[in-house]
Amino acid sequence: MTAGTGASAIAGALLLTLIACATGATADAAGARAASDSDALARELLTQLIAINTTDTERGNVTTATEAMAQRLRTAGFPAADVQVLGPSERKKNLVVRLRGTGKHKPVLLIGHLDVVEARREDWSTDPFQLVEKDGDFYGRGTLDMKGPDAIMLAALIRLKQEGFTPARDIILALTADEEGGGANGVQWLLQHHRELIDAQFVLSGDDYSVLTENGRPLFFQLIASEKVYADFQLRVTNKGGHSSEPVPDNAIYTLTRGLDRLAAYEFPFELNAVTREYYRRLAQIESPQRAADMRAILRDPPDEQALARLSQEVVDRSITRTTCVATRLDAGHANNALPQRAEAVVNCRILPGHSPEEVRRRLLQVLSDPAITVSYLASDGTLHDAAPAGRGFPPPPLLPEMLTPLDRLVAETWPGLKVIPAMSAGASDAKYTSTAGLPTYTFSPLTVDPNDDRSHGRDERIGVASFYQANEFFYRYLRLVTAH
Amino acid sequence: MSRDTPRFPLAALLAPLLAGAVLAADRSGDAADAAADRLAHDIFKQLIEINTTDSVGSVTAAAEAVAQRFRAAGFPAADVSVRGPNERKKNLVVRLRGTGQRRPVLLIGHLDVVEAPREDWSTDPFKLTEKDGYFYGRGTLDMKSGDAIMSAALLRLKQEGYRGSRDIILALTADEEDGCCNGVEWLVHNHRELIDAEFALNHDGLVGYSITSEHGVPQEFAFSATEKMYADYQLTVTNAGGHSSLPRSDNAIYQLAAGLLRIGRYSFPVELNEVTRAYFERMAKARSGELAADMRAIARNPGDAQAVARLSLKPDLNALMRTTCVATRLEGGHSNNALPQRAAGVVNCRILPGHSKEEVRKELIRVLDDPAITVRYVADDGAISDTAPEQRALSPSPLLPQVLGPLESTVAALWPGLPVVPFMNASATDGIFTRAAGIPTYGVAGLAVDRDDMHAHGRDERLRVAAFYRGNEFFYRYLKALTTD
Repeated sequence: MTAGTGASAIAGALLLTLIACATGATADAAGARAASDSDALARELLTQLIAINTTDTERGNVTTATEAMAQRLRTAGFPAADVQVLGPSERKKNLVVRLRGTGKHKPVLLIGHLDVVEARREDWSTDPFQLVEKDGDFYGRGTLDMKGPDAIMLAALIRLKQEGFTPARDIILALTADEEGGGANGVQWLLQHHRELIDAQFVLSGDDYSVLTENGRPLFFQLIASEKVYADFQLRVTNKGGHSSEPVPDNAIYTLTRGLDRLAAYEFPFELNAVTREYYRRLAQIESPQRAADMRAILRDPPDEQALARLSQEVVDRSITRTTCVATRLDAGHANNALPQRAEAVVNCRILPGHSPEEVRRRLLQVLSDPAITVSYLASDGTLHDAAPAGRGFPPPPLLPEMLTPLDRLVAETWPGLKVIPAMSAGASDAKYTSTAGLPTYTFSPLTVDPNDDRSHGRDERIGVASFYQANEFFYRYLRLVTAH
Repeated sequence: MSRDTPRFPLAALLAPLLAGAVLAADRSGDAADAAADRLAHDIFKQLIEINTTDSVGSVTAAAEAVAQRFRAAGFPAADVSVRGPNERKKNLVVRLRGTGQRRPVLLIGHLDVVEAPREDWSTDPFKLTEKDGYFYGRGTLDMKSGDAIMSAALLRLKQEGYRGSRDIILALTADEEDGCCNGVEWLVHNHRELIDAEFALNHDGLVGYSITSEHGVPQEFAFSATEKMYADYQLTVTNAGGHSSLPRSDNAIYQLAAGLLRIGRYSFPVELNEVTRAYFERMAKARSGELAADMRAIARNPGDAQAVARLSLKPDLNALMRTTCVATRLEGGHSNNALPQRAAGVVNCRILPGHSKEEVRKELIRVLDDPAITVRYVADDGAISDTAPEQRALSPSPLLPQVLGPLESTVAALWPGLPVVPFMNASATDGIFTRAAGIPTYGVAGLAVDRDDMHAHGRDERLRVAAFYRGNEFFYRYLKALTTD
């Protein structure tokens, strides 16, 4: 996802036990063999995907990944006409594959992006573009965000095909470009130019892990039904510069850093919406007493200040209850021995539904409170604009029973006692395009991750090996359930 | 001067003054003057039109061209040597023999110039173009004008059959701007006997020691007797990073920003040396009012806080009183939507004589007051090391009467009433090599340059035609005065 979460795995032994329980209860020997074959396939697909650099750089190429997966699907028996590779950019083509069903219901669309954010070899402990298994984890750029989920969706489709399964609705899988940035060659483009290929009753995105853990213990299963709005802003200061041997007080770098200092100290106002209220209402039922009390206290009107202060210490709670803005990049100066003529920063904001990027841009100007710092909107294609979009995000879709009922059932079966909790994602994903196009979109990937060790976009990104196989089995079974009748 | 080109502190002498009656009356004969001007112009033109950049130029070609002129003028072949370890970067060393009554004077000037892309310039940078009272071309200021003037002076003295009380050695050299070690440094280490002298004059003159004027009125004739030491430091903060949708409490960019603000607010202690004290004493006489009083006050007592505070507001004077460090570059983050794993800044320092780069590094660490910020030394070749050299910046050269006396008398003859003031150069020249070798070195140019014309390393580098000829006459007279007793 463009916005995120992190990866850690709960103890391998625990997970293996859970898998053994979950599968042992329902699967016969043949089923176990199929599961093990499917695990091998999922791992092969993941290995192959990680090794293909799909960053939005000169070294990256999404089309290479798309073609490799298309080849796998054709080999698995999908008719060539149902495996489409298409897109306006040579380097960024998308894959759309359809597993045909009886046509009893409208199709379900699965979406996953193939592109990953940049990873520098020198920052990592292992080569980010090689899948490395170490101490119970898979390491590599994209293991979590989101080549792991891509591999799982592909493996499920291939397994269903090989089993000769005929679903009650077509299952469409779109693996796409440009989710992490770089333009509009992915889901956006497909919706605009090939809506017929991907039209569906609802959409499942694999772009966030769902089983959140703390100290290795699963807390709840998160189903994302709402998203914050993503916006980048560029802060810029210019100066006439001069020779660095005679420093002057008016320095572009110092002006910018003073502004960043004020931004670091600022917090946007607390605000809940229908989804986040439901999130805290349900979460309070399973949380520790103090946190549960705090959650109930912030649901009151007005919210309890002290409870809010305590919850705001947690990065996840802060991002659920507030718009956040954080500096992510810096660039200034042109020579070591010249005073900077220009200093720039990128500030990345995650905006609560109901607020617009332009509203946030104006707030940033107030917070920076220095007319020497300009704040421009930085669009996903990299262009700068004096004003930002005025759109206020999409409202949460209804929780369709044909999607939720099978999920509730399978979660209860896999993790006895674990609850599905609808949530708002702190990040933004391609779900915003499908949602805006009128396709109810729900995001989950049954991977198990400790949010405090979420390494998506960071160094040494990883997922638990056992968690990956568990998620692979889970997703296959969920797809069967959701298309069985 | 090298990469390091501070702007000229004051404006320059205007053409009407140069052409004034006082100057004209001082000349001994129009015909001789015209011939001297023509000679200097011819050498100037020849040098400008030989590309001596580090990339594609040949310093050897320029050295040979000037050597040829000396041989043709009757210098014995043994006294004209072209040598150096690099085929493209040979140096010229010429000796005009005197009576040997006193030890030689060494003149140094570099032949290499910084790059000049044709497309950036209004004229061809490698053609000497005379237009609207200016000479245009790469090296008109830095420093082929000086090379031509020094060469012309030696040729003129030779033609006159002049024998001074000391040998006059001229070294025209390579690798001052870019590249390394084939110039003055190489001569000092490998051919000390060729260039050994009682003292050296460096014509690399437009770095704050030359004739300066304000609103057309000459203010002073500054000559350099000491230099600050140049040092770059890299400040780095690293962080585990993570996804920007979940901002964490520690952020590499914010930590760096807060540190840089502390550096921006910090002033190193005021410290005067023999040269800067004399500068303020002498400048006080040429100034009036509060400024003059403040200059007198700190020359007497550098601890005078009020005078220091007022003088510190002037960047050129501030740089004379203390070591300065200023942020010149920033870099941080790798993706708009990822929390920065790394933020780095470059801080450029100009260190007072008597202090070391390591001492300043430790002071920066103290001022930053944050163990999360590491401070490393960046060498000239870009290599980064954990600590900086311990070597202290060279002490000022003593203000020798045999250098200063003739300078004052020559200036008095050409610019009656103009104060002669010693100056500390805030940037680095080849004078560091001769000074390190124990040869007292003074920067003396005698060229008048407008503040707005300090385009030494920029586009459309230029020098007033009248200033060139005036500077030519000055240097010839000064050489005579230095060698007549």
